[in-house]
Amino acid sequence: MLENMILGLGSAFQPEMLIAVFLGVVGGVVIGALPGLTSTMGVALLIPVTFSLPPQVGLAMLGGIYCASTYSGAISAILLNIPGTSASVATMLDGHPMSRNGEPGRAISLATFASAIGGVASVAALLLLAPQLAEFSLRFGSPEYFLLAVFGITVIASMSSGAMEKGLIAGAFGLILSTVGVHPLTGTMRFTFDMPSLYDGVPLVVALIGLYSIPEVIDLVKRAREEHGNDARVDASGFLAVIPEILRQKVNLLRSSLIGIIVGIVPGVGCSVGGFLAYDAAKRASKTPDRFGKGAAEGIVASETGNNAVTGGTLIPLLTLGIPGNPVTAVLLGGIMIHGLRPGPELFTTNAEITYGFIFSLFLSNLLFVPVGLVIARFGLRIVQVPPAILAPIILALAVLGAYSIRASLNDVWIMLAVGALGWGMAVLAVPRAPLVLGLVLGTLAEGELARSLALVRGDVSAFALGLLTRPISLVILGLCVFAIAHGILQHRRNSKFLE
Amino acid sequence: MIKTMKPWIAGLCAGALAALAGPALADYPEKPVTMIVAYSPGGGTDTAARTIAKYVEKHLGQRLVVENKPGAGGQIGFSALARAATDGYEIGFINVPSIQLVKRLRDNVPYELSDFQPIANIQLDPVVVAVKTDSPYQTLSDLLADARERPGEVNIGADGPQSNNQLQLAVAEDALDVDFNFIAFDGSGPAVKATLGGEVAASLPSLSSAASHVANGRIRILGVFARKRNPQFPDFPTVSEEAGVEVPSVGASLRGIAAPKGLSPEHLAVLEKAFAAVMEDPEFLAHAESAGLPLEYMNAADFSAYLADAETQLDKYIDLIR
Repeated sequence: MLENMILGLGSAFQPEMLIAVFLGVVGGVVIGALPGLTSTMGVALLIPVTFSLPPQVGLAMLGGIYCASTYSGAISAILLNIPGTSASVATMLDGHPMSRNGEPGRAISLATFASAIGGVASVAALLLLAPQLAEFSLRFGSPEYFLLAVFGITVIASMSSGAMEKGLIAGAFGLILSTVGVHPLTGTMRFTFDMPSLYDGVPLVVALIGLYSIPEVIDLVKRAREEHGNDARVDASGFLAVIPEILRQKVNLLRSSLIGIIVGIVPGVGCSVGGFLAYDAAKRASKTPDRFGKGAAEGIVASETGNNAVTGGTLIPLLTLGIPGNPVTAVLLGGIMIHGLRPGPELFTTNAEITYGFIFSLFLSNLLFVPVGLVIARFGLRIVQVPPAILAPIILALAVLGAYSIRASLNDVWIMLAVGALGWGMAVLAVPRAPLVLGLVLGTLAEGELARSLALVRGDVSAFALGLLTRPISLVILGLCVFAIAHGILQHRRNSKFLE
Repeated sequence: MIKTMKPWIAGLCAGALAALAGPALADYPEKPVTMIVAYSPGGGTDTAARTIAKYVEKHLGQRLVVENKPGAGGQIGFSALARAATDGYEIGFINVPSIQLVKRLRDNVPYELSDFQPIANIQLDPVVVAVKTDSPYQTLSDLLADARERPGEVNIGADGPQSNNQLQLAVAEDALDVDFNFIAFDGSGPAVKATLGGEVAASLPSLSSAASHVANGRIRILGVFARKRNPQFPDFPTVSEEAGVEVPSVGASLRGIAAPKGLSPEHLAVLEKAFAAVMEDPEFLAHAESAGLPLEYMNAADFSAYLADAETQLDKYIDLIR
């Protein structure tokens, strides 16, 4: 095994590999930072290009896009209050307030270094523990998925930043929206109004663009006449100044990485959930949870470490079992198969040079997006100084383009605008929007897995409940759910008393 | 005299027409041809489409550009193909029986099967019965015996709902007189994962998605829903030979090329010839084999006949999964 690793290490540093990683990372940072362009799209667009490349070079490029775009969604989340990808929604909760407080450079560099650390930690797990962790992912059945989704939903409390009731309403509304479309088990159509665009449910990325871009555009138009506060002068040395600050958060980094890796190993959950759960854990562990949502460095670090730690995690079931964990890895699977490679043990023996070469290239990708991201962010920072009258139409154009380009569908633009109107209403009423995203992301998972768990025991509710209590992993998650809800209620009471 | 002149005049006219039309047709295709794919980039269908698009370029003389129109289980892309231009520059990748299931199981689907002109079939991916390696079921008979002992209690996972896999299960249950508890999963991959994790007793994935797990020794194939054994996997028995009862293989998933109805016969001939040629191209064949694409060529006439036959079969079975 060590021999194979050394072989892979050697192949990762071939010049063509380095070029592939560099191109992938630059492309990935740009794709991730632009709202509406997703990592899935980037990877899918490049697959035909990688046809003609040697397998490890093609994979290295795809890996570069995957890692870099998962990170760079944070740039637009911080600067524009519009998440570049769904993975950066939790980053935005503190990233944008910090940017508003005149420290956009600090927020971006915190996000950048945290992402790199989470990414590197997860690739290390992939390199050293892949076979063992793969077995764990197989023990995750429908009841475990269901409970994990429920646990994710408890995070709403943390997302609501003081407005618990409004947060719960938004979360519940997200859950309701997630029921739109074909029922995952029976095929019954619900709330689709005969529009094929809605058969697969409210498209998440389209909803995300509308929810955040449209209120921002309206806000910018309102501010257009006022003088814009451009106190965002940040020089490059400021970027590096955060390194000691990040390194002080050892516990946060470790905890968020672990959460991200575990979420990644479980197929079908995804990067955004890693970010949400890590953010939630950091807030609960903090002695000063009140600072969260107002520009707390720990929040940015936790979310970004968590979501990038998912990337390496998702590759574990992919490479060892051939099971993709999210849309990007599904596309990567196609990229692997097209080169005639089959996921499984032989990938680590017969094709070891390719596989380990790919894994080591992922280390490079996670390190390389730091300079690339910071250079791009340096130009990006000027966005904050762009007059609203110019910025607003640009964002609107990007939103329409992004919504359209996902499925080349004009209906998606209408859906985006409708969700945008909803988002604006929520912004006006100061209803937090992150719980709605959480509900939308996890509602589908929770509903489908609950239905499947029940189908597996032929609808016998007592057998289902007994299963939850007797399966070891589900018992652990159940305990986490109880803890999370109890902790949330206690903290809410304490806060209310304190206010009185 | 007149009688003898008629064919002569007709021949002359035909010749003149051919001479007029000749240059235009000889040049087809003059620009890249768009191929609509009704599924997302990176999925099985998309990968197959992009692979063939790459290799057909040489035989067609123009690029074949893949355009993804995913959503609603293929309905959006199939509908777009039905309404596409008939000038030979818009073709599509169609999935059988999905294109028929979508039409029959939903209301207000804006296409008819007669809206499509089949050009060539590229792949045929049968449904298989898979169990994990250490499963107590050694043969299909073991599984069927258990299912007969505990009717409706043995869990079988497959892509679903309303998929070709579920259709195949329903047809098998009908033919073999057994009753399984069908569990729908979000694709063949998750169904196989549930099999590996022991959550379901067996699953009904496509052969192509099960093949790599067989090579790794993680799952065993108890039977393939096909008329005869697959030349690529001669060790896998067919379900019919194992069960001793003929089970129609209507669930097999085909991927082929079609155009909207109204394509001129000349354009059809050019396209058909190009796809026939690519299916004999050694480079493409080598690539398809290493990527595990289950090829099965049918020309336009055979593909049309298969579709027509599938339609009559579906008349019989569609109510089983409604």
